[in-house]
Amino acid sequence: MRIITWFGTLTPGENGSVAEWELFPKDTDALARMLVQPKEPGMDMPPAGFELRAAAIECGFVTSNDEYNELLRDVSIRAAKYRISSGTPDMGMIQAVEALDDISETANTLSERLAEWYGLYFPEVGLSSETLARFVAKYGSRSGISPDDDLYGKAASSMGAELTGLDEELVKGFAGNICTMYDTRSRIEEYIVTSMESSAPNLTNIAGALIGARLVSMAGGLERLARFPSSTVQVIGANRALFKHLRGRAPSPKHGIIFNHPHIRNALWWQRGKIARALAAKISLAVRMDVYSGELNESLKTGLDKKIESIRAANPKPPKRDNKGGRGKGSHKNKYKKNEKTGGRK
Amino acid sequence: MSPKEVSAGIFEITNRGGKQLATKNLVPGTSVYGEKLVGIEDCEYRIWNPKRSKLAAMVIKKFNVPIAQDSKVLYLGAASGTTVSHVSDIVPDGIVYAVEFSPRTMRDLIGLCDVRPNIVPILADANRPQLYAHIVEEVDVIFQDVAQPNQSEIAVLNAKRFLKRDGNLLLSIKARSIDTVANPKKVFKEEVRKLEHGFDVGFKVLDSRELAPFHEDHLGILARVRN
Repeated sequence: MRIITWFGTLTPGENGSVAEWELFPKDTDALARMLVQPKEPGMDMPPAGFELRAAAIECGFVTSNDEYNELLRDVSIRAAKYRISSGTPDMGMIQAVEALDDISETANTLSERLAEWYGLYFPEVGLSSETLARFVAKYGSRSGISPDDDLYGKAASSMGAELTGLDEELVKGFAGNICTMYDTRSRIEEYIVTSMESSAPNLTNIAGALIGARLVSMAGGLERLARFPSSTVQVIGANRALFKHLRGRAPSPKHGIIFNHPHIRNALWWQRGKIARALAAKISLAVRMDVYSGELNESLKTGLDKKIESIRAANPKPPKRDNKGGRGKGSHKNKYKKNEKTGGRK
Repeated sequence: MSPKEVSAGIFEITNRGGKQLATKNLVPGTSVYGEKLVGIEDCEYRIWNPKRSKLAAMVIKKFNVPIAQDSKVLYLGAASGTTVSHVSDIVPDGIVYAVEFSPRTMRDLIGLCDVRPNIVPILADANRPQLYAHIVEEVDVIFQDVAQPNQSEIAVLNAKRFLKRDGNLLLSIKARSIDTVANPKKVFKEEVRKLEHGFDVGFKVLDSRELAPFHEDHLGILARVRN
């Protein structure tokens, strides 16, 4: 038996000694690279109870316990650094998705502030969010509005206070910052779309770039998403509803973030669950194609359209509601009562 | 107000705010995660908050902590190294093998290893001890704090390979990661049963106590391999 250790390969002899050995070069970087490499076939890991430290000293690789500790520590740190730096390619996209959410939230908060602030000086402006920010950044106070602008007339007869001097400078600068945020947001969106189209063409084709990217981000990577069952894909992002369901207090959620897909959002309510299931199934297939073959396959999309068509045709009318109140919360009380034996799970 | 040693390398410091746990700082002058440093009689101590560390909570709950100055410790679930740094304080003449699965948290852990001489970082899945058996030697203590549904199985797999015959296992069981909805008491009972009889290597549970109020729904366990 030949076993591999971090400092060399050994053949163990009688009662714990080492019969033969071949040591690796005693160099931190070389040893770290050996640790990161996949193991050669035919090599065994040390068996339980094998005394690595004693073996290293016996072979003369190190001369003392302290030297063993020091070298092993340095090698492990180096190896861990190597492993971390070889991160997966979709890490950048996951960060982009998170950044998109953060920036949207921040831009909205600041836009609301701008609306309040600018409202002191021009309450009749009637604009909000991005258009308001662009307007304020462009003109500043009411007197700066160009006669060609539609709001010129309103500005002339406004009941707002005068915006001058330092105040004008501040408000205008604040609006300018908000505009940059919206610019950055659209750049991030473009980045997500292009990188999704190249790294996951099928997923983009079925789910759309942004929903696809969200799914990847929540799953923690394209490959992990590919390993999820489609029933999981269907409810990713509906965590609260799912746990409520598992505790036995609610029906199962029909859709997580795939709800934002126009096929589901625009569907009739009684068809939504069915369409969500079909869409999730196709998303799963699409992601697997992206991970394992990488080529665009149009038949998925046509298959999905056909399936949705048949769901619509088979369920033209809403199901009859029972007279106790139909879909209301109360009707689930008995149906979804917690099962004591399985702890609420089915 | 000299510090009282409650277990090897673990001290109780009494000051105006009452009693606090602390360990002797192995790298004086550096605070790892923002904890307070207290100098007493030429020694520097790092305050150890039981709300941030399962092991510290175990000490306060009067567990017998079987870690000595020269212990070799296998630490599973090292995360960013909050508790690992204190274990490293406790074993100035020993070594800590810190296993962590997430590359993101490993980043922080490596920063810690860079300044401390006795921590060996291992980026690996504690479910598969065969993948780091060429690095880790036999150890005196395994400390495990992993939020995984098969916590007791992980403990058994690692103990089988790495724990000395008379070595100890310190385990923190998190009920919520085994079953999010079941009653924690039931989960604990089942995990203790699994540790004692569920696998080919049986443990003898020497002590088990809940870690509330420091950590809700956690059970601390001290166990030994049954010979």
